[in-house]
Amino acid sequence: MKKFRFYLDFEKEEIWLNEMARQGWGLTRKSLWYEFRKVVPNDATIKIDYHTFKTKNDFEDYCTLFEDSGWEHIAGTKTSGTQYFYKSSSSSDGDIFSDIPSKAARYKRLSKVWLSIAISYFPISVALVSTNPINISALVNPKLLYYTPGLWDKTGSYFLRAFLIETPFAIMRGFTWLLFPALIILYLIFAVKAEKNYRKTNG
Amino acid sequence: MKRDKHLPLTETVYYILLALLEPAHGYVIMQKVEDLSDGEVRMAAGTLYGAIENLLKLKFIQSVQSEDSRRKVYIITNEGKRILRLDFERINHLIKITENNW
Repeated sequence: MKKFRFYLDFEKEEIWLNEMARQGWGLTRKSLWYEFRKVVPNDATIKIDYHTFKTKNDFEDYCTLFEDSGWEHIAGTKTSGTQYFYKSSSSSDGDIFSDIPSKAARYKRLSKVWLSIAISYFPISVALVSTNPINISALVNPKLLYYTPGLWDKTGSYFLRAFLIETPFAIMRGFTWLLFPALIILYLIFAVKAEKNYRKTNG
Repeated sequence: MKRDKHLPLTETVYYILLALLEPAHGYVIMQKVEDLSDGEVRMAAGTLYGAIENLLKLKFIQSVQSEDSRRKVYIITNEGKRILRLDFERINHLIKITENNW
């Protein structure tokens, strides 16, 4: 079963995944969505860490450390960031963190990643504004975005048809570039939220 | 005298550096820290991993050749030894003045 969810708060995500396990759905993979398979309903402890790795070796060493101490790595890749761990033996303690600063630090790493993604969109936005024929004046006068000759002199149903046909193209022509500033703002919001969770956890 | 900005070390960092006077991989460090602290300090995997990353960045520890390809082995550096010694002297001073003033 696949489910789409989006979390910025690891604690809430953990609660949800534990609830899924209680209902008999075990997490097997996380990409843009979550993949579950049917399992025996269980009181699992699933914990989430946030790390990206430079090499496959680093990633393997990281997973091995968790497995040595009783946490099975169930989802996450070298570059995915979020890493999901399942408590596989009763001898291991109840959390993958033993102090507050390290529990908070995962939010700091998450925040930095969102911030760097936001920043990486700046050059492309600047390039678009400075080189492409982005028609800033079209924001005030959208008529400039319609290329049909003599469109504005037509009347009645003929005008309406031509107008409606061209409108989607006009919108693409005029406003597609707005996607980039919009994404930058969105990613900045994610970064700020993660930073807030970092401070909240650290107390 | 101006004090080194890394002092005082946290209890966990002190134990990790002490454990790494001999080469060890992550899980061995966890066990050593637990032993050295008489079971008082039990580090979880995520916390230890973050601490190792941080100590590598500070160059207080370094990774060494390991026969086990899945487990990295670390050892304390000279800089790490210096800082551990400094913190030891700081604690020693605390002990002395406390005994004298009790």
